[in-house]
This record gives sequence, structure tokens and C-alpha cells, in this order.
Amino acid sequence: MASRTDQRSRFEEIWTEYRLQILAYCLRRAAPTHAEDACNEVFMVAWRRIDEIPRPPKTVPYLYGIAGKVVSNHRRAFHRRSRLDEKLSNLGVAPATDPVDLVVQNTEDQRVAAAVRNLKPKDQEIVMLHAWEDLSHEEIAEITGMTAGAVRQRIHRSYQHLARVLEPSLDRQPNNSPPIAEEGGT
Amino acid sequence: MTHEQIDRMVRRANPVRDPNSLGSVAVPVLTTPLERRMEMQIDHRPGTEVQANRNRWRGPLIGIAAAAAILVAGLVFVLTRDNTPVAEPAPNATRLTMSMEFQPIDPGAYFADTDLLESTSLRGTFVIESNGWLGTAAGAMKSLVDDGPYIALFIAEVDRVWSSACESGRTQQAAATTAEGLANQFVAAGFTNTGALTPVSAFGHEGYHLATEVRPSCISQDFTVWGGSNWDGRYYQTENQPLELWFLDVEGTPVLVEATWWPETPEEDVAELRTVLDTLVITP
Repeated sequence: MASRTDQRSRFEEIWTEYRLQILAYCLRRAAPTHAEDACNEVFMVAWRRIDEIPRPPKTVPYLYGIAGKVVSNHRRAFHRRSRLDEKLSNLGVAPATDPVDLVVQNTEDQRVAAAVRNLKPKDQEIVMLHAWEDLSHEEIAEITGMTAGAVRQRIHRSYQHLARVLEPSLDRQPNNSPPIAEEGGT
Repeated sequence: MTHEQIDRMVRRANPVRDPNSLGSVAVPVLTTPLERRMEMQIDHRPGTEVQANRNRWRGPLIGIAAAAAILVAGLVFVLTRDNTPVAEPAPNATRLTMSMEFQPIDPGAYFADTDLLESTSLRGTFVIESNGWLGTAAGAMKSLVDDGPYIALFIAEVDRVWSSACESGRTQQAAATTAEGLANQFVAAGFTNTGALTPVSAFGHEGYHLATEVRPSCISQDFTVWGGSNWDGRYYQTENQPLELWFLDVEGTPVLVEATWWPETPEEDVAELRTVLDTLVITP
């Protein structure tokens, strides 16, 4: 086991290097008020397990693995508060805003983010890790305990599903994006 | 739409595209549970700093003296020992560790190291007979559905307890050094106690039993009630969550056993938790 001084300096390195990434991860999945708490909790766990945290490039997947569990716990608390908000709204008290609404402003982006959040939980997490956390298939495989091939397949299937869900609504939208060539078009 | 087009759209919908835009925060000052406990024991009133400074050295000096005594005892043991082989206890139970937290564990025998220190032997050993259980540093839990009801068992040496834990004036105290004292701290912790504190004999030791529940008004905040040796605080998040607590005197060391489940947990799952409890043995 490393000395306490070594442990502290290692923790400081990890905090300095990864804190914003972990905070961003939490903000992508929880309301801002909970994201900060969740982020701090991730680093509390990291401090407790400081001797077990792998060196780069495996540090980030390891921290995301902790963050996934912490955010999941916080979400559970959020859902309970949402039920409370529902009760309060019946009494004329304004409910809290959904985490997605709090962080995603753009309408089209909001629709895409909502579609991502409607994927099955495991697919949702894999797509977010791939597209939002920008992790490789191998890194995602490490976090989720799947093979890289299975991750690739899940992403492919999820994207096919998103295309089916989003295509009709995009057809009705004004064309505010650059034109994209059709696959296999002439 | 092609795979690449969908990928671009999903990436564009990222709520936090540039983490660097979130700004930086200074590294927190970190302490270990032992340091926090020592800090709690230091009297910060004016005029007591000198005594506090003396106290600061007491721990290391006692440690050095203890190490010297152990060294002498070890030498005596090596020079006088009988070399006849002695049978070791069968290593049939797996030690639960921090790295196993929330990781699936197979059916089998496990033990929770009550202070998470390999150098000490006090432990609670139990048997899991079905699939679906997850390990924790202090026991095991089973989530019946993702993010839903769970059943759980914890065995730990408590080192701090929050008094009136869900009130604004809550205070953190060092845990009592007797099972009865610890039990009384939990009685005052802020739960809704559904039964009286009762003397019992359980898991091989004498102690006290308390049936209690998480008070609904407590869950809107951080309802942390206790902390174990070398791990962080245990908090509760579910309204009316029942808890059965045992405070046992294990050869002078108070040990907490917590069995808990969500209110909506089906009877058969609570029965499964009780089956695991029936296998629990705490050994010094």
C-alpha cells in the first residue's frame, strides 16, 4: 500500500486531471443540483479506493464505472422527489424541472437527447459513453463488462432505432442543418 | 439516415460539449476516518492547544511501544515455538472488499471484515444461496429490479453516529464503546422506532435489538446516520424503509448488524434476507 503522502498526491493528480470530465458525465445524466453532489461522491469513493485506481489509460473508464453507480443512486432519489413534486403540483406548487430540460436548450438537440434517453437503460449508457464521453468501444467494454464487439453491435442497433424514431419528426422540421448525402445515393 | 449522420446528431445533442467550460475547483482537503476521529477528540477550547499537541504524539508513541512489544513477543514465539503443524481454519468464505462494492457475487460463503482491516480478525460470516446478490464492503445486497427495491445486510464496527440525524442541529459523535451505549445512540438517531430496545442473544453474542424505520421527513436531505471504521457514512433514501438492528458485544467490541429492505419488497424476498441472517455468525 502506498504511503498516505503518495496517496494524497495521487488523488490530487486524479482530481486535477479528471474532475471536469466526471462533473460533465454527471451533468449529462442528472440535474445540475445533483450532479455536483454526485461528482463529489465519485471522488469520495475514488479516495477510498485510491490504491486500486488503475493508471492511464484505464483511469477514466474506472472513474466512469464508479460514476455510473453513483448517478444511478442519485437518480433514484430524484425520482422520489419527482413523485413528491407531482403531489405538490396538485396543491398548486410548481414542480421541479426535468434534468434534461435544465441542460439542453436547443429544440432539435432536445429531441435527440430525449430519444437517447428513451433507449433501454443499458443501450442509453453505451450510446452516451460513446457519443458524449467519446470513449472507444474497448473502454466502454471495460466499464460495462461486455466485449468490444457487443458494444459495437449495441451502438449500431441503437443508432438504427434512433434513425427510425427521429426520421419522421426531422422530415417535418425546417431544414436548418447542412444537407447530408443519402447513403448509397447517386 | 446513415450511422454517421445519427452519430453527428447524438454528439451535437451532448448537454455538456466542453467539460473545460465548467471551470475548476481546488482539490479538497482529505482526511482518513482515523484522522477525523482524532480531530473530534481534540479539545479546541482556548488554552488547550498545548495539551492537544501532546495528545498528537501520544498515538505514535503508543504505536511504537506496541510495535516493540509485538517484536519482542514475536522473537520469544519464534525461539520457543513447537514446530508441530497446526490445522488452519478452512478458507471457505470469501472476504468482501471495497473493490467488490455493487459487483455481482456468486452463491457461497462470504465474510464482512467489520473494520475493513486485514490485520484484525473480527468478522461476520454468512452464506448466500441464490443468484442476484451484490457485494458491499460491509455485507451484501440484492437489488430486485434496477434502481428499485433491495434487501441488504451490513455488519460493521461503527465509529461515529449522528444524533438527531435529520434535524438541522444534528451533531456527529464518536460511537459508544459498549453495545448498550451504541444501541442508545441509534435510539436517538432520528429514526421512527417501531419497537423497544430489547436485550437479545444473536449471532453468537449478547446484545440489543431495535426495530426501526426511516422517517419520511428525513429523506429529502442527507440522512446519514452512522459511519463504519474505515468507510464513509451510511445514509438512507427511502420513506418508511424498515431496519432491524442488532448491537452486539463481541468480546468487548460493539458490532452493528443491519438488515433492511424497501417497504414494497415482496414477503418472499424479506424471507430470503432472513434466511441469510440465519446463517450469520460473528467471530472475534
